[in-house]
Amino acid sequence: MKVKPHTESGLKTWVGLAALVLAMGLFYFGIPALIAQNPEVYSRYYTTLSGIALLSMASAGVWLTFYIGRINIGQGVFCLFGAYISGILVVNYGMNFWYSAIWAGVICSLLSFLIGLPILRLRGVYFAMVTLISTQVATLVVQNLAITKQGRSFALPPPAALTLPGTDIVVIPAFTLEGAAVGFYFAAITLMILTFLGLYRLVNSRIGQLCKSLQQNEELASSLGVNIVWLRLVAYAISCFVGGVAGAFYGAQQANLNVSLFTVQDSVNFLLYCFMGGLNYVVGPLIGTITLRLGWDQLSPTGEYQLAIYALALIILMFILPNGLMSLVEEGKKWFIRPNHRQKLQSMSAQKPVKTVAKSAAKKRPKTAAKTAPKSNKGRK
Amino acid sequence: MSEILQVKSITKKFGGLTAVNGVSFGVKEKEILSVIGPNGAGKSTLFKLISSFMKPSDGEVLFNGKRISNQAPHIVARKGVVRTFQETTIFKNMTVKQTVIVAHHLRSKANLWGYFVSTPNARNDEKHFGDSADEILEFLGLSSMANEQASNLPHGHLRALGIAMGLATNPKILLLDEPFAGMNHDETMKAVKMVRDLRKRGLTVLLVEHDMHAVMTISDRIVVLNFGTKIAEGTPEQIQKNPAVIEAYLGHEDKEIGL
Amino acid sequence: MEQVIANGLFTGAQYALIALGLTLIFGLMNVLNFAHGQMFVLGALFAYTIFNHIVELGWFLGMTPWLANILTFMVALVATLVFLAFVGALFERFLFRTVIKRSSRDESTMLLAAATAFLLDALLPMKHVFGELSHSLPALIEGSFSIEQPWFSDTPFYMPYSKVFIGGLALFLIAGFMAFMQYTKPGRAMRALAQDKIAAQLMGVHVDRFTMLGFALGAMLAGGIGALIVTITNIGPTAGSSFSIKAFIMVMIGGAGVVGGAIAGGFVLGMMESIVPTLLAPYDLANLSDLIIFAALMIFLSFRPQGLMGKPWG
Ligand SMILES: Nc1ncnc2c1ncn2[C@@H]1O[C@H](COP(=O)(O)OP(=O)(O)OP(=O)(O)O)[C@@H](O)[C@H]1O
Ligand SMILES: [Mg+2]
Repeated sequence: MKVKPHTESGLKTWVGLAALVLAMGLFYFGIPALIAQNPEVYSRYYTTLSGIALLSMASAGVWLTFYIGRINIGQGVFCLFGAYISGILVVNYGMNFWYSAIWAGVICSLLSFLIGLPILRLRGVYFAMVTLISTQVATLVVQNLAITKQGRSFALPPPAALTLPGTDIVVIPAFTLEGAAVGFYFAAITLMILTFLGLYRLVNSRIGQLCKSLQQNEELASSLGVNIVWLRLVAYAISCFVGGVAGAFYGAQQANLNVSLFTVQDSVNFLLYCFMGGLNYVVGPLIGTITLRLGWDQLSPTGEYQLAIYALALIILMFILPNGLMSLVEEGKKWFIRPNHRQKLQSMSAQKPVKTVAKSAAKKRPKTAAKTAPKSNKGRK
Repeated sequence: MSEILQVKSITKKFGGLTAVNGVSFGVKEKEILSVIGPNGAGKSTLFKLISSFMKPSDGEVLFNGKRISNQAPHIVARKGVVRTFQETTIFKNMTVKQTVIVAHHLRSKANLWGYFVSTPNARNDEKHFGDSADEILEFLGLSSMANEQASNLPHGHLRALGIAMGLATNPKILLLDEPFAGMNHDETMKAVKMVRDLRKRGLTVLLVEHDMHAVMTISDRIVVLNFGTKIAEGTPEQIQKNPAVIEAYLGHEDKEIGL
Repeated sequence: MEQVIANGLFTGAQYALIALGLTLIFGLMNVLNFAHGQMFVLGALFAYTIFNHIVELGWFLGMTPWLANILTFMVALVATLVFLAFVGALFERFLFRTVIKRSSRDESTMLLAAATAFLLDALLPMKHVFGELSHSLPALIEGSFSIEQPWFSDTPFYMPYSKVFIGGLALFLIAGFMAFMQYTKPGRAMRALAQDKIAAQLMGVHVDRFTMLGFALGAMLAGGIGALIVTITNIGPTAGSSFSIKAFIMVMIGGAGVVGGAIAGGFVLGMMESIVPTLLAPYDLANLSDLIIFAALMIFLSFRPQGLMGKPWG
């Protein structure tokens, strides 16, 4: 009994590491090699894929706010602001793009403190709705400022070279117009991998446990001495930092900013990517973004029917996998579970009728919980 | 003996309703003090006021002579005044051991960043919390369920888990809201013994309880509330003989005082 | 000033109807129906199509134009209400109910709602459905009601008869809906459900049936108001999502899931949209009015999430 969790987590680590190495190999070598097969046809995938990588980053931020129990439909705000902050710093103040992207993230997370202080007290739909409105506000702000050129075309130069401070040693060479797509691809996947590694580390450290406690019962967490206000703010600030940086890169990649770069629609999309991937896994938003964006992209030859097919596919997916793509993993575990372990689970469920391993338990739980504790969290959101 | 906790004419109003009305009493160190009273008397509200989950409308609570009311609940918890919940309040999707480890939060030496990069302090905490959680679970008879989902525990063990969380915070005063509710006689007696053991660990325990037998067995002193007002205070023997208390309980036919 | 207030009231009545449907669905099912605005557009374009198909019949029968218009419109309105109720019922029965039962989180319905919104957004502008163009019906009644010298302003007050008629219809629908919720058995059952699902279930309320009815009613209200508005302004097949957002906002202003709140929210937003630009116009800031309205509402909701009439935390 005592040994099992160790071996299982050890196995998990190895599987995780192998997956990481495979993924990195695929992103850094596999995909460029594939594209090199037929550059004329395939090179557009550099742009598509870097877009996906950046959007999955922003979704990772949304996922983190989910992890503290908030439905965030406001990531578009920080992506949009991130893009414009970086753009303004580069164009109006001549800052190097690479620094400007970091500043975009920092300013976004400072802003998130200001916004977060009042709105993070809200839960459930209330938080969802206020963040939804905030995206609308952000759009209107960009449309009404002179510095953003009223949200109309705001052209950006390709990123200049990044040198080590105080020296001439080039760390990242300047992007040329032709090479920008490839350059952004490598930058984007690097950022994406860093983001998801960071998120994985966060979730699997004690911070993750604390966030999870927040997600499940804030009152109880604070009775145990957890500073829930601070923790919420920190999680939200990280989410917005990631959103801001992703936005800055996304904007620079487009080389041209306008107000419709990130709209309410995009805020909702980030949410969908998270749902579609699955909320219980760190890689959920990545899987969700890749599936949905790539799917959307592949449907583009269908022209007029693109959106309809996409929507239908979403609905069908909801029917087959209402808990997201990653719930496949759970199903898989159920099938491949070691026989002796399965036996043990069965004997345990025989002991106590409340405990069932299968899906029915998951379905029943909300009801029983609501019955036994009508005043608990569920009713309040 | 000095009073570790002083409640000074504390009042809580909800609109027109006065849930707690000018209640004062003191708690000595390592004492077990019970608060009893009919349903809706304001007992849970009193606990929420003491643990600072609610702001009092009037009056104050002093802990070691310093005012703790009006401070954020997590700060009061940090000082050592920790409550458990009347409802079975748990983290549904965590295992029992994870829950107790999370509850060790107050003892952590590392900060959030430290946990992220896993500094030696953080690793130390991690190991220490795990051991301490095992010890607490052992103490409360929950060891065999350490890896169960908290939401799968039977009722009696959920109560114990609540106490385990409280203990994990390393409190000076533990406020238990109806810890024996839903337990049968045997379970209750076991739990009573457990609470006594808490005192041996150096804790001061305040508890709200409807099970009179348990209350009379366990308490050093009892405070009786009725309609938000303190109507009596004293040892179990004194309370059992107190005419005001008998009156208050006879008003509620479903309750009986005594054994 | 009268003009501004009258316009505000008119818009408010329309908005209130949109918000009512949304809040009903939210209250009953805890579903944020992202497709609500699309339902509204569907109603508008459906009514437009029906109207154009049958209006000539009235002329053929030799009716005076305004009478033919109004009768035809009433027929189209009723047809729209029935059609949308049907669509709503189908959505609930075959999409939402299944997903709610299967998924382990309430929020999954948000994904489904968004997907249905996409689907409608894709289907409505198709060639064989309504086409890509915006449409509006001609004024049902010619002429307008005007006061040359109103009490509080210099400009004449002006209100087309058709707007008065539509406004009246909207108020009538609101009143009818409220009466339905207040005095009929299904209405009471739905209110009980919205208040406490488990208690209602224990009292013998047939949850599935009334949830479906509620969703149908919600869609019906959205469609009905679409039919009304298409007589006043142009409605395009993809306008849905912007109406959804507005509807969400109105629901939140009033208090999520509270019927009275939705009406209040509708009127508040309608009034604000009418008054704020007028107040800002002298300072040349009228184009900031949307920003100011949205920002103000965001601040309001941050500090009073339960809105005007909601209970704290719903
Ligand atoms: N948040 C609140 N808002 C309004 N009224 C409240 C609130 N919390 C408690 N009350 C009211 O205050 C009174 C005292 O409640 P409290 O929960 O403290 O009683 P109690 O003594 O713990 O009862 P029980 O034995 O049933 O647990 C009750 O009438 C209750 O309805
Ligand atoms: Mg109580």
